[in-house]
Amino acid sequence: MKKVLLSTLLVGSLFLAACGNGSGGGNANETEDGKVQITFLNGFTGGDGGYMKKITDGFNESQDEYLVEEVQDKDHYTKFKTGDYDLVVIHANNLETYKQDGMIQDINPLMEQAGLSIGDFHEAAENLVTFDDGTYGIPLDIHPLTAFYNKQLSPEAPENYEDLVALTEELQSQDPNLYAAGVPNAGLVEYYIMTAAIQNNIELLDGNHLNFAQEELADALMVYHDMVWKDNISPAGLGLDGEFQAFMKQVEEGNTGVQTAVALTGPWYYQAVSETYGEDLGITSMPQIGDEPGVYGGSHTIALPSSVTDEKEMEAISAFVEYMYQPENLANWAESGQAPLHTATLDLIAEDPEKYPLANENAKQFDTVTGAPQVYQFGEQMRYMIENVFSMLVTEENLTKEDLMAELQIATDNAQQIADTAPEQ
Amino acid sequence: MKSKKKDITVTLISTGVALIFLLPIVWMIFTSFKELGESLSTSSLIPKSWTIENYTSIFGADADAPILTWLMNTAIVTTAGTALVVFVDVLAAYTLARLNLPGKKIFLSIVVGALTIPGIVTLFPAFFLFREVGYLDTYAPLILPYSAGTMGVFLIYNFLRDFPRDLEEAAIIDGANLWHILRHVIMPTIKPVVATLTVITFLAIYNDFLWPSLVTSSDDMKTATVGLANLIQGSNFVNPGKMMASTVVATVPALIIFIFANKYFVRSVTNTGIK
Amino acid sequence: MKISKIWSTVMYLPFFICFVLFWAIPVFYGIYISLHEWSLFGGNGGFVGLENYITVLSGDNMFSVSFYRGLENTLVFVGFSVIPLVLVSLGLALLVNNIPKKLKVFFRTTFFISYAVSVTAVSAIFKWLFTGNGGYINNVLNTLNIAPLNWLNEQPYAWITILIATVWWTIGYNMILFINALDEVDYNLYEAAGLDGANWWKKFRYVTFPSIKGVFIFVLMTTIIASFNLYGQTLLITAGGPQQSTQSLIMVIQQVVFSQNNLGIGTTMAVIMGVIMMVITGAQYWYAYRKD
Repeated sequence: MKKVLLSTLLVGSLFLAACGNGSGGGNANETEDGKVQITFLNGFTGGDGGYMKKITDGFNESQDEYLVEEVQDKDHYTKFKTGDYDLVVIHANNLETYKQDGMIQDINPLMEQAGLSIGDFHEAAENLVTFDDGTYGIPLDIHPLTAFYNKQLSPEAPENYEDLVALTEELQSQDPNLYAAGVPNAGLVEYYIMTAAIQNNIELLDGNHLNFAQEELADALMVYHDMVWKDNISPAGLGLDGEFQAFMKQVEEGNTGVQTAVALTGPWYYQAVSETYGEDLGITSMPQIGDEPGVYGGSHTIALPSSVTDEKEMEAISAFVEYMYQPENLANWAESGQAPLHTATLDLIAEDPEKYPLANENAKQFDTVTGAPQVYQFGEQMRYMIENVFSMLVTEENLTKEDLMAELQIATDNAQQIADTAPEQ
Repeated sequence: MKSKKKDITVTLISTGVALIFLLPIVWMIFTSFKELGESLSTSSLIPKSWTIENYTSIFGADADAPILTWLMNTAIVTTAGTALVVFVDVLAAYTLARLNLPGKKIFLSIVVGALTIPGIVTLFPAFFLFREVGYLDTYAPLILPYSAGTMGVFLIYNFLRDFPRDLEEAAIIDGANLWHILRHVIMPTIKPVVATLTVITFLAIYNDFLWPSLVTSSDDMKTATVGLANLIQGSNFVNPGKMMASTVVATVPALIIFIFANKYFVRSVTNTGIK
Repeated sequence: MKISKIWSTVMYLPFFICFVLFWAIPVFYGIYISLHEWSLFGGNGGFVGLENYITVLSGDNMFSVSFYRGLENTLVFVGFSVIPLVLVSLGLALLVNNIPKKLKVFFRTTFFISYAVSVTAVSAIFKWLFTGNGGYINNVLNTLNIAPLNWLNEQPYAWITILIATVWWTIGYNMILFINALDEVDYNLYEAAGLDGANWWKKFRYVTFPSIKGVFIFVLMTTIIASFNLYGQTLLITAGGPQQSTQSLIMVIQQVVFSQNNLGIGTTMAVIMGVIMMVITGAQYWYAYRKD
């Protein structure tokens, strides 16, 4: 009888012991061989993840005092909110949110320690990362909406709306399944909405929230509706990431697919398009479809969680940051297609346009690129626009401006409610 | 008596349905041998030019995802989780059905009552409790919480309740101890329902998605289901060929187990207790 | 030999500890959180009574709007998915039951193995199979002279795609339960009931179905619960679109907790969802067993 009891207890405790190797929080973690270990969290699960990995691996091999453990996760923001990390990649449009939530700290001291200052970056960077009370991210890159085009179908790069109209007419006469450029109903629509606002010089920021209920914005957005339903620039019914998928299609017998000559899409598709189109791939800036040139860009920055206070850890982090921002190391990031904001790295990659075609092309857009307004929970404030309004815009043929205005009002009400949940009022 | 004609009709219908059923799997396998360009540009079933590059990139030195580690984790989690559930449930059900447990009636009604409360209620609180004690991203949250389910206790209890006590009483008269009764009398008796419980639990843990995606973060701790979701939305999302290759690798081991074990599943998923 | 109370307790203890740790404490902790203002970062912001429940149910704010939208979407899915999920699996089981013995194992295995494919793999496959722009299914339809459909971003096709994926994925499991039940049907009852010469439907209606009724109710209930828990398929196939129409309640709760950082409201939604499911399962128990 005792045996049963004992073995039960034994199995139970063994089991718990086997399961439990939870990490102790707090002070600097040290590896078994005495290295200071830091965790670097990012969301680079796309094609660019491997290039960042090269940088962290390179750092780990370059010295034997510190060890960077890189964590890549699709939902890295959720992991950040619920876990304990030492360095985190945060999009510039989220810095305000994490700053207000008290999750990240002023990174200036760290930048100094690593020998960096905001002057080392392209001037587009300053607006993205500096706030009244400090700098909250080290600029990494800007990824603006990028135009890829298939030289077989469009020998010239389209520069404006008229070019797209002419291109689509030309293509349609060849084959009714060929179009100029696709507008999807989901995926990159944040970039589409913001680019329309930027090219028409519309200020979305209104106090603490985004105000979408503006006649000018409705007019600007109707352009996407017209691209699909009036001017036939885009096929109708493209779904999630449809602008990219349509660009990659081949129109052929027995296939119902539609193909486009141009993809207005994210630079992270670069590997896929260049592998497929090779010499036939053209890269250019976002065409002007509004009143003035301009483009919206997302931006990665490197932020320091508030929980990091330990000096040893700070040393490790600054050593890593210093290594990452050596031009020859950061050039790895440019190789993935991302355009770095670090000036010295920009100069380095400019010498080799063959190796860094996309990063160089997108660096040209830096002068016209605009980031998101700094508001609390930018993504949540945009949610209704992204998930509902834009989809309606491109799927409903008979949509009127009045319908659209009513939806923009709902989107604004939602944004207001989100903004009101901000800790700093 | 069944006629030949009926046999043929039924077989033909079944074959048709089976072909439709296998199509997604066939499509997955063929697509995994397509090159990037082809997998995006056309949609014919059979590749025009075959490539194994999608597979070499999964297992190559510069692979972006440790799929084998994920499969290993899935194996560990499903096996350990199922063993734990069966262990605690058998003991608890036996106690409730046969032994002299103080407060038995209350415990029994708790077990039945808990059956109706769905998992979503405990999901977030359990997550934050695991975070509180610092056990996120370990095997503990991936394995232990399944043991709280009361379905198994309920099934075995019902089975035992309807089962005559003669054998046990005979064994007790013979002077057998508790261990002996459990091992040689009870276990053989409840074998079918334990097998049912094993299968149901195994499948439930294997197919769980939301919970393991919440509690894991590092690549080393992900299960196949969670890791694959990361790939589908991440590095593989532009490349259906590679995505399907990852899917094949993550799925084939389970497919093989299912094909060989399904006769046991069928035998074990008896209705005992469910009726 | 009389087995003592102590030994009984000791044997009950492993389950009891697990139950308390991973069920009872989380349930009460969840109810506790739902009665407080609770942010993901700020933690407990104080007792607010039933305010979170009023916020979620009142209908005049974004939390409530998204809750009702998620609930409605989920109920829509439960409403139209349960019947096909149960009936198709029963149909398959009847089919397999009538297959000549030699081929039985092969077909049973074929219909069952899709359950070995995880929800993420299922989603990846169906997302690409049903892609609107020149996807495989649309090409097949095209050869049959049917115009291509926007499977993933137009309703009702988005729901139909998710339903097809779900049927394909889960049906084998229910089918096995039905096959087992059918195996135990006593076919002498046909003669006893004087139905030997009767048609197929009469045999099913008066002999087969009453014999498998218990399993039928079990399958029905587990299917309703599973459909309520819709998450992976809509997340990975349609991402909640088009226009949030496939955003399930669990997706909404997940968003409130991890994107809007409002653990208090999110947990409240989860508790309400739990109550709704309890009422539905409770009603089914009552309906199924009221005669007994």
